[in-house]
Amino acid sequence: MEGSLMNEDLTLPECKYEYLDHTADVQLHAWGDSLKEAFEQCGMAMFGYMTTLSTVEIKQVEEIEAHGHDLESLLFHFLDELLFLFSCDAYLICSKLVITEFNIEGEELMIRCKCYGEEFTLGKHPQGTEVKAITYSAMHIVNEPETNKFEVFVIIDI
Amino acid sequence: MVVRSYNDELKYLEKINNYCWRIKIGFQPNMKVEGCFYVNSALEKLMLEELRNACRPGMVGGFLPGVKQIANVAALPGIVGKSVGLPDVHSGYGFAIGNMAAFDMNDPVSIVSPGGVGFDINCGVRLLRTNLWEKDVLPVKEQLAQSLFDHIPVGVGSKGIIPMNAHDLEEALEMGMDWSLREGYIWAEDKEHCEEYGRMLNADPSTVSMRAKKRGLPQLGTLGAGNHYAEIQIVDEIYDKWAACKMGIEEKGQVCVMIHSGSRGFGHQVATDALVQMEKAMKRDNIETNDRQLACARIHSEEGQNYLKSMAAAANFAWVNRSSMTFLSRQAFAKQFEMSPDDLDMHVIYDVSHNIAKVEEHLVDGKPKTLLVHRKGSTRAFPPGHPLIPVDYQLTGQPVLIGGTMGTCSYVLTGTETGMEQTFGSTCHGAGRALSRAKSRRNLDYTEVLRKLDSMGISIRVASPKLVMEEAPESYKNVTDVVNTCHAAGISNKCIKLRPIAVIKG
Repeated sequence: MEGSLMNEDLTLPECKYEYLDHTADVQLHAWGDSLKEAFEQCGMAMFGYMTTLSTVEIKQVEEIEAHGHDLESLLFHFLDELLFLFSCDAYLICSKLVITEFNIEGEELMIRCKCYGEEFTLGKHPQGTEVKAITYSAMHIVNEPETNKFEVFVIIDI
Repeated sequence: MVVRSYNDELKYLEKINNYCWRIKIGFQPNMKVEGCFYVNSALEKLMLEELRNACRPGMVGGFLPGVKQIANVAALPGIVGKSVGLPDVHSGYGFAIGNMAAFDMNDPVSIVSPGGVGFDINCGVRLLRTNLWEKDVLPVKEQLAQSLFDHIPVGVGSKGIIPMNAHDLEEALEMGMDWSLREGYIWAEDKEHCEEYGRMLNADPSTVSMRAKKRGLPQLGTLGAGNHYAEIQIVDEIYDKWAACKMGIEEKGQVCVMIHSGSRGFGHQVATDALVQMEKAMKRDNIETNDRQLACARIHSEEGQNYLKSMAAAANFAWVNRSSMTFLSRQAFAKQFEMSPDDLDMHVIYDVSHNIAKVEEHLVDGKPKTLLVHRKGSTRAFPPGHPLIPVDYQLTGQPVLIGGTMGTCSYVLTGTETGMEQTFGSTCHGAGRALSRAKSRRNLDYTEVLRKLDSMGISIRVASPKLVMEEAPESYKNVTDVVNTCHAAGISNKCIKLRPIAVIKG
């Protein structure tokens, strides 16, 4: 689903993620002022491994939806949807993600997210590493509203 | 996970000889069989270091060391023989990378696990020979490297150039290299020199999700990124002249082409989909594993059968993929030397799969059994006389292709009877990582890595030069150590050593 872009859509959020050591793969560590922000940052961390995000212009927006039965599977499917967005049809590389619905109560968890970026173009976007898959390997989600601590750890297979 | 001190952990490990260690039952809970791993003294240090690091208390977001993963695999239902770690073993997803495990097909509780195959289903190595010599290629090395780079789409976001629509893809998934042959991309004899003749017959594209097909379609005929590569190599050493001769390798200095690639986004998505399906099956069938990543299903359950059928389709995809790049490599050489690929004698020496599960017959305690053998980062290495290897290699044993990493040597080994007995006909697959990617990026400088390759006389064409340090030789175990361990342990024999003069990668 494509929408028109407003000026505020073009401002980029600050970077709240890093890449941690793992022998064969890479571990994404993202954080934020809310779990929602940590999820968004984690998605951007994944795109940041595929190219240099500063080369990505915001030219289009796509919406994705992901479901899960617990927080871990929600994060897994969220990232898997983003990877799919990049891998076919839109070939979209994103420099900004905004989660518009973040339903983490009850049986069926759900995320709806607006993905801002442009089509991945050889020559314009430096080729980083290809992400093969998202994994549950050592997946860790810190969700502590009491202490205002929101962090996620995900290993992506590359 | 059982938490013990490093010294307590060591009590469960026993060095049997200079090349093999035993992992005793109890190292991890519920182990049904013992584990073992093959290492020499240099690789042993890396292996134990990984274990020692994991024994630090209070680790957050950490990961399991390879030796623990081998033991967790030994706890899976239906496993027979041993859970085997090959010399290039390191920590992976669920199974270690460089891990072989076999399950009894006739035991109703036996499982199949996508983690035992890996995300890159039928990732493998193909070796082409030529009748060219180093002196023919050196003057045009740069042009040839550039031409290969121009012919083969590489790196993240690249798209295939072999014309393909959704209907073609369905056929390719079902037919494997028979499709490539029908469409005129390969020679009939190429098939002879592939495992399974380049086609798994149980492939069923209808078990594959639309999502996987969508990811796969634009990527057919692309090399990929990470450790995948195409290399021009020179025969540097011949250890077994007779076997080399059977492969069409006559003398030192002969030019070969090695292609290392897999099933691309198609296979990755098939694996991802299966893992999600199997989580549900595990709950339903009460399958207990030591690690959530070891998602699995009973072989004869619907999920198990669906995975095997879709895995076979992904395997076919990978063969078509490597065949498409074989076609492109032959074209690149033909244009450069203004000779047909036929006149350049560009035959496939062999094509191995090092991420796959296969149904095979093996002797277990002297009795023949039908097993589902998972090889993840492990290569099949069948001995002379085995019915499943092509007639050309009946006397030598199956050629085993071991790809090095950028700038290091690669090897051709042959399968042995000892390997058949000890590891169900399996051996190593490559160098195996020693440093994490992030550590490589911190400790190595990419300009330095490129300069070093240049000083070794290796032309390099790479889509993402800033990431070459992740694949630098320093980031990997020494492939010579790995291969020598396999040779010394007798699970495969050294035959040919190849050194690269040009590397094309993502």
